[in-house]
Amino acid sequence: MTRGPSELVSRYFDDLLTADEHRALQDWLRSSSDHAREFARLALLHDRLRGEQLANSLIHPPLPNATQAAPAVPRRTRRPFIISATLVMALAALLMVSLEIGRTPAAAATELKRLIAAQETDLDRTYRIAVEEVAMPRRHHRPDAEANRPPKPPLDGAILYVRKGNQFVLIRPMTDGRQFVTGSNGRTSWAVRPDGPVRVSADLTRFNRDLPGHEHDFPLIQIERGLAHLRDAYDIHLLPMETPDDTAADDLPTRLLVAVKKRGHRGPQRVEITYAVRTGQIRQLRFIEMPYGPEHLTVRLTQEEERPLGSLFFDHQSHHESDRIVEEE
Amino acid sequence: MDSKTIQAMRLWTLAQPVVSAFVISVVRDFSARDDVLQEVAVAVIESFDSYDPQRPFVAWAMGIAQNKVRQYLRRIQRDRLVFDDDVLVHLAAAFEEESAEQSQSLAFLRSCLEQLEGRSRKLCELRYGSDLKPAAMAESLGMTANTVAKALQRIRDQLRACIERKVAVEMRMP
Repeated sequence: MTRGPSELVSRYFDDLLTADEHRALQDWLRSSSDHAREFARLALLHDRLRGEQLANSLIHPPLPNATQAAPAVPRRTRRPFIISATLVMALAALLMVSLEIGRTPAAAATELKRLIAAQETDLDRTYRIAVEEVAMPRRHHRPDAEANRPPKPPLDGAILYVRKGNQFVLIRPMTDGRQFVTGSNGRTSWAVRPDGPVRVSADLTRFNRDLPGHEHDFPLIQIERGLAHLRDAYDIHLLPMETPDDTAADDLPTRLLVAVKKRGHRGPQRVEITYAVRTGQIRQLRFIEMPYGPEHLTVRLTQEEERPLGSLFFDHQSHHESDRIVEEE
Repeated sequence: MDSKTIQAMRLWTLAQPVVSAFVISVVRDFSARDDVLQEVAVAVIESFDSYDPQRPFVAWAMGIAQNKVRQYLRRIQRDRLVFDDDVLVHLAAAFEEESAEQSQSLAFLRSCLEQLEGRSRKLCELRYGSDLKPAAMAESLGMTANTVAKALQRIRDQLRACIERKVAVEMRMP
């Protein structure tokens, strides 16, 4: 009986080929690079299927009585299976421990869920922003209207204060030493320029364009929303746990979670989150190739503090002299 | 942990899915795949100093994987059907070419798996969750091994078609 190439490949993965069929498969693979690529595509699926099923069994372990409903596996089949399954789990555990890589999607997804939960706090957060790299995408053609706009105040070195309810204050240092402050108290948004009137708007989105991420489902003033977006739009990987060299009380072991954007979704190409292993508190967020107007930035947000900032801190009056003119838009 | 090791870990995390698929395509047994993959991971981290950043990392890691797979095949020294060395090299190149695109497409696999129903889902769980081969599956399901093999092929074809449909829809998105 002659089998077609796709059947040969499928039976190869299921360990069912005869010697002649195996030879036929090798000849087919040798005959064209397209054939080898087709084989690779099937192998990638085959391998990923294993990962998905293992992850699924970790998330949804079978109920104790579920085994009764499952088809009976004869004892002589079940025993080697149990041994090999135990071995697989032991090897997987060994790999995890030796390399400390949480490489299953399930482990990463569980950890991400924990980070989102840890964001649920009433305390205000303070982040320092560092811009590591600014790139202009090659295909971007800068329209005239955009070219005529005054440049945005620099984001590098800015301080971002965030409170629940979309409240924020962003303080950007200008090159002349003065500050450009924008923010929102959840009822109005506002901008305090170094000179000119203070502008206030009932449109809460009026001044949040100064923050990268707001238009791509990763608003920096709502980190938890961005983290939830990672679950669907990114491939998540966990990297090793790091133990600090010194033993200062604040230096808890940290871990890095790396999210790589899936095709067809918007947002930064990659997000790296450093967090405290014990508490799930985020220490640092790093966004690689994050769209920001016409540019793509690599931005680092380092959490500096977590404490209450006072009831008036997110009002514009807290950030300028009382004699400044205020214009409502 | 020094910055170089962290960088090696980062690159390995991204390259690991394609290397894993290459290894399973040769060793075929999932527990053996885990063994070999662990050896590759350790070798990648230990020899990261010799990695030239001008070269694609996946290609470099695949070179290590080929060596580890050859060592494994020599080690098991059993009369089993294995690929000739020229086919191995040929395949490694094909995996490198397919890695980026396929890794992204396979992100749709989970939602496609959720669409499987009844017996298809059960077969998939036994084959991939419990790591049973068609002969053992046939025994527990009251089917012949040949029928199971054909059903598995059909399921994989369905999953591929589902993924391709989802990729096509995504490509049409603005």
